[in-house]
Amino acid sequence: MRLELADYPVKEIRLGRSLRYESGRLEIDAANLEALILRDGRIREAALAVVRPGDNVRITGIRDIVEPRVKVSGNGQVFPGILGAVQSVGEGRTQRLSGMTVMATAAYEGTVRTGLGVQRSALLDLSGPGAGASKFGALLHLVLVMRLVESLSELDAHCAIQGAEMAVAQRIAQSTIGVEPAGVETYDLSSTPPELPKVVLVQGCLTDDHHVHSGVSYYGMPIRESLATVVHPNELLDGAITVNATRCIGYFPITWDWQNHPLMLGLYREHGQRLNFLGMILQRIRYETFHGKEVIAQNAAQLAATLGAEGALVTWLGSGNAFVDVMLTVRACERRGIQTVLVTYEYGGKDGIDSPLLYYVPEADAVVSTGSRDRWLELPEVERIVGPYEQMRILSYPGAPVAEARKTLTLDARDMVVGGVDNWGQESWLCTAY
Amino acid sequence: MSKELEKAGLPVAIVSAMYPVAEQVRANRIVKGVSIPHPCGDPSLPPELDARLRREIVQTALKALESEVTGPTVFSPSMAASG
Repeated sequence: MRLELADYPVKEIRLGRSLRYESGRLEIDAANLEALILRDGRIREAALAVVRPGDNVRITGIRDIVEPRVKVSGNGQVFPGILGAVQSVGEGRTQRLSGMTVMATAAYEGTVRTGLGVQRSALLDLSGPGAGASKFGALLHLVLVMRLVESLSELDAHCAIQGAEMAVAQRIAQSTIGVEPAGVETYDLSSTPPELPKVVLVQGCLTDDHHVHSGVSYYGMPIRESLATVVHPNELLDGAITVNATRCIGYFPITWDWQNHPLMLGLYREHGQRLNFLGMILQRIRYETFHGKEVIAQNAAQLAATLGAEGALVTWLGSGNAFVDVMLTVRACERRGIQTVLVTYEYGGKDGIDSPLLYYVPEADAVVSTGSRDRWLELPEVERIVGPYEQMRILSYPGAPVAEARKTLTLDARDMVVGGVDNWGQESWLCTAY
Repeated sequence: MSKELEKAGLPVAIVSAMYPVAEQVRANRIVKGVSIPHPCGDPSLPPELDARLRREIVQTALKALESEVTGPTVFSPSMAASG
């Protein structure tokens, strides 16, 4: 499977009358895109805004973020199973608008009022400490500001928000068709020098099997209780893995993260140089019995061994008891002789003195931290809100106090900032020894 | 919580589906629970079997309370095996 990813960097976005990409400048036909969004009767209002790094702006109501891509050759289309039929993707040529995102924001109250299924949205500052707390603080954003009709179910809201963001993203990526790219990267795992070690990426995914959307989808199908499976990394590059667009939380990677999975891309960069990248094991985690956790750990390690892995990177998404499944996976891999490195965020409490991890095993002897999820963050007042919420709740329980979104906000954890938790080590970190 | 209660002089048996986590934090008397959402029973069983299971978990916990232990000790209700 060979995929060419052609790069069209975006330096400037202008809302205009035609859709055009030329030497880093993207002009967007705003009225046509708004009409495209409003074709879905579940969306009552839609507006577009452009937000740049450094703007004195806070974006509210963020539900998901995608990178605009379009397939120009090869099977299927980007976001298979959502924008089009379920067709195997990852081959041919895909074109991307890099340095920018399509960011879906939406006002949505939800029918579930508490618990793990409750709707959540995130925020992003484009200046000050909030911008530094998220990789998205350094990107250009085309923000879709949407209001949904009243009393939609969670599934309807998800489908409406996701359908709009993906249709817009694919449409604007079509502006690159026929234009010379700034560069082309080729993604191909077929050449495997025998002297190099074979390494697999094990991606644990917390999913909630009892919710209408479990949290992570493969070709548009939410992953529920299931055994681990092998996916080709090129499928991620074409958007085969997507997320629940009604629950945007810092420790749940969003669609953009799956399209740009930093560990996947890092292993690809080293493929054929320092190692042979075998592919990715997608492992559902958060089994409710210890027995279940041991079985899924053994299952992923068994798949890794069957692929011939000599090394494994294990990482995850989610929170809470799902981390037990992750640690048991590290142990199961190590016990099979597969040298294993765990990549995880830490807790540690807001002052950094609490336990960093929920559970640990002695076999986890190589762990890379991607920083603390728990550190408090003060966001200063901004000039302007972009997004559906001028007022917002910092906490999600029923009856939580409402704050002016534009004013100073104190967050006791990074969960509410999109990209606020660096799940897979996308960012550069400095370490201080105490 | 169980450690703090024991510091105050009350023996504690903790029923937990994540019993290795309870061992890791060095709780003394740990009873294997069924599952994270329902440690003390199994709603998927017929009601009469669930009642037996629940009674057995409570009896195991009482036995744990009566037992002298010197460190984290896991007590297993015989019916509570998952699978």
